Amino acid sequence: MKKTVGFVCAMAVAGMMSAPAYCDVIKVGVIGTMSGPYALFGQNFKYGIEAWVAEHGNKVGDHEIEFVYRDEESPNPAKSKALAQELIVKDKVQYLAGFYFTPDAMAAAPLLEESKTPMVVMNAATSAIVEKSPYIVRTSFTMFQNTVPAAKVAKARGAKKVAIAVSDYGPGVDAETAFKKTFEADGGTIAEAIRMPLSTTDFGPIMQRIKDSGADMIFTFLPSGPPTLGFVKAYIDNGLKAAGVALISTGDVVTEPDLPNIGDSGIGILSTYHYSVSHDSAENKAFIADLIKAGDKPGDITMTAVAAYDGARLIYAMVEATGGQRDPDKAIAAVKGMAWVSPRGPVSIDPETRHITQNVYLREVAKQDGKFFNKELQTFASQPDWGLRK
Amino acid sequence: MTGQHTSVEPRLGPPAAVRQLAVPVIVIGLLGAAGYLVFPEDLAFLTRLISITLLVLSLDLVVGYCGVATLGHAAIFGVAAYAVGNACIAGLADPLLLLAVGGLSGLVMGLVSGAIVTRFHGLPQLVLSIAIGQLVGALSNKLSSLTGGSDGLSGITPGRIFGVFGFDMFSRTGYLFSLAVLIVVFIVLTRLVASPFGLLCRGIRDNNLRARMIGAAVYPRLIAMYGVSGVVAGIGGALMAINTGVVGLDSVGFERSAEALVMLVLGGAGSLWGALFGAIVFQLFEHVVSAANPYHWLTLVGLLLVAIVLFAPQGLGPAVASRWRRLRRAGARP
Amino acid sequence: MMNTVLSIGLDAVSYGMVLFTISIGLSIMMGLMRVVNLAHGAFAMIGGYFASYAIKQLGLNYPFAIVVAVLGTIVISAPLEMLLYRRIYRGAGELTQLLLTIGVTFVIIGLANYVFGPTTKSIPVPAMLSGPFDLGFRMIPTHRLFVVACGLTTALALWLLIERTDFGVRLRAAVDNGDMAEALGIRTQVIYSMTFAIAVGLGAFGGVVGAELMPIEPSYALRYMVTFLVVVSVGGAGSIPGALAASLLLGLADTTGKYLAPEFGEFFFYLAVIVIVFLFPNGLLGRAQ
Repeated sequence: MKKTVGFVCAMAVAGMMSAPAYCDVIKVGVIGTMSGPYALFGQNFKYGIEAWVAEHGNKVGDHEIEFVYRDEESPNPAKSKALAQELIVKDKVQYLAGFYFTPDAMAAAPLLEESKTPMVVMNAATSAIVEKSPYIVRTSFTMFQNTVPAAKVAKARGAKKVAIAVSDYGPGVDAETAFKKTFEADGGTIAEAIRMPLSTTDFGPIMQRIKDSGADMIFTFLPSGPPTLGFVKAYIDNGLKAAGVALISTGDVVTEPDLPNIGDSGIGILSTYHYSVSHDSAENKAFIADLIKAGDKPGDITMTAVAAYDGARLIYAMVEATGGQRDPDKAIAAVKGMAWVSPRGPVSIDPETRHITQNVYLREVAKQDGKFFNKELQTFASQPDWGLRK
Repeated sequence: MTGQHTSVEPRLGPPAAVRQLAVPVIVIGLLGAAGYLVFPEDLAFLTRLISITLLVLSLDLVVGYCGVATLGHAAIFGVAAYAVGNACIAGLADPLLLLAVGGLSGLVMGLVSGAIVTRFHGLPQLVLSIAIGQLVGALSNKLSSLTGGSDGLSGITPGRIFGVFGFDMFSRTGYLFSLAVLIVVFIVLTRLVASPFGLLCRGIRDNNLRARMIGAAVYPRLIAMYGVSGVVAGIGGALMAINTGVVGLDSVGFERSAEALVMLVLGGAGSLWGALFGAIVFQLFEHVVSAANPYHWLTLVGLLLVAIVLFAPQGLGPAVASRWRRLRRAGARP
Repeated sequence: MMNTVLSIGLDAVSYGMVLFTISIGLSIMMGLMRVVNLAHGAFAMIGGYFASYAIKQLGLNYPFAIVVAVLGTIVISAPLEMLLYRRIYRGAGELTQLLLTIGVTFVIIGLANYVFGPTTKSIPVPAMLSGPFDLGFRMIPTHRLFVVACGLTTALALWLLIERTDFGVRLRAAVDNGDMAEALGIRTQVIYSMTFAIAVGLGAFGGVVGAELMPIEPSYALRYMVTFLVVVSVGGAGSIPGALAASLLLGLADTTGKYLAPEFGEFFFYLAVIVIVFLFPNGLLGRAQ
């Protein structure tokens, strides 16, 4: 660390003396859940970014890139806005990135135009976020993107009446809408649509309600974290699984770190998601190895790591396109339509929506050699955000 | 107790009244100017600090001056913030009018919760205050058309103050505006707590029975004080909504209430200066330490709280003040 | 229809029993020592961490882990009792008690995060207690039945302890009139300390068996801080039947609310609290103070 600082200073001095070739530090402010119940996901932002830096160095041309981390802890829009403001005004960051929760990302959006700051959303999954400012790109996923395939799968697997249970906030409502629209368009019936407050931990009564609705399948979404485990357990322990009611969810409910806690009874749960840690590709293997080198534990890797890794790629591309200048229009233009092979599979940035287009996989929870993982069964290629593509 | 208080503060002659007016203006003004000059890049934070400070002052009125134990005061603050947000989104852009909206909705909330909470003493009182807070929290989550639910109420863009000074990203306007509001509120409150009404409230706190014996109608007076406190909390909530442009569920939450209480007691309940001091010191430290690690901050605050209860039950403000007086006295002796 | 009502009733009872098992310790403490202990949830959390550690790291079995959790929590809390809680028994005002116990809670949360990290720590239950149990008309998590049994056993054991033992007699004397009891040669300080240990132990026990419903993580202590306090005051501090009635009633309000209108969250729970406290300021079965 000290060495780099010294080096940079030396470079800076050298730069001043020989005028044309100059060196500077470009700061990127990353807001993520670094502490609290959702800390795993914020920490994976960091590991994902560090894996990228380890592979590609901390410099783009002559510009050194420095990532500054701030803690959002919980959905708290006021605090998130204050953090973003502080990063821009005080730390003088040129880019904002991260954001685990939708409300936190939404709150920062109004600052971007006045401050000419592009923002890379690395998780928050409500479709509408990218519409809040022309300077937002997203490398994670949206609820529509992952849910539309889920509804297709439900139909294909013969579900007639589905009960929907989602967390009562932006992404949850998106998931509900997406599933309902797709499933009903295919001729299915929605037996029940339940919205649960984010703070819910006792899912017994909700399971009872689903049972009473006579549904033959449940679709659910809850943000990854402590409640997802409770939901899956309640589903199994209240006898819905034994009664033959299937469960399909977006992958948020069966993230890899939670699988050992769900245990054997979770085997066979279906989910649709854009990334599985076990995805079989050379890119993913190299990525996982770099994550672990950066300090991530094999059992703790989540989808936020890959979104951050690809987000860092976009930031590097934007710095290169603008020559280190604060020019958000040029920066965003540079990444529109960009395509590459990510650890999750082939992806591209949709020039219309500035959201990532990617494969969505149908997976089921499986166990091999005593380890649980999400086994990919089927690929839905190049899915756009169905919420923005009307 | 009551006798002591009255003897310390004799009937106000003109010089005392002037002093009452001048001291807050000078002290808070100087502090504010220092903040502006020394931390020009932290104005957004300092602006938020001021709105929370108003909440703490408001809490002091009921906890410190009336002896009411409450852990649900943020409900008033948050409801006012939501009201202001909705008024602004509906087209009411003038910041001063928005402030009035905040104060009014705070008044209503204060009277309602005061009517419920001050009917009882001790544990039932505390539990009712908590329950009201939680009830408001659950409702705020449910009524998402008015509050945005977990997503927060966003899109609050107030107009210019007097049609001239606009709010911007650097919070210069917001900061000076909030500072001015704080000074005005502080002066009004200083007058209020020294008024016969304020003194009677203190009397009720110190000895409820005696106050009744004198013939004071205790319950209406407590509700009235709760109403005043509601106005102050409401103004704080309004400032928060105006300056940040977003109102989230955290503004009504239990944690906000608990934190405000901690700040109050830290500084010293029962004194406006104590509340001011506690709110500023707590938030400054929080800003620095919690940026590093929020959990270490929690540990630190916890230890501090325990230490205060054990060694300085009157709060840090009075403890420092008395130490200072003792030092001065010692210094004066040859 | 009948089936649904029964089912909700069953969910209500099992949720109520979790509330009861954790809250009863607090109720006794508040009844005897008049301490509004906001840190009770923190002690329950410590119990949960102990159990999780004992099972996952030390490989102990479930019942043994519960014993470790209860004893461990009592040992950890003993110095707190001696140094801090003793000062706020009875005499001190609510505000002082609130602050001291909030302070203790904050410290415990901070340390828990430092030692165990921010993520949820599961307490694996033995195969016998996991999975669904068929009641004929519905399936219920076996673990819930276990919790109900634990709650009933706790209530019975406490009743026996207080009504049928020598310790119980002294305890009741200390509650009724501390000074008189002291004058008669009962060492109230000892009674207080033992009661504190029992209360904390019960909290830890509840924290472990209730972990399926209230998962153990550092913010546990803050998240449920007021829930337990509310149960106690609704029931009436110090009353075992009161706490039982309050737990069941509030469990019913919460469960029914979640079934009929889940999007309202804890609205019905707290509405019930306000109504009950307004009508019975000393709790359902509490004594006038």
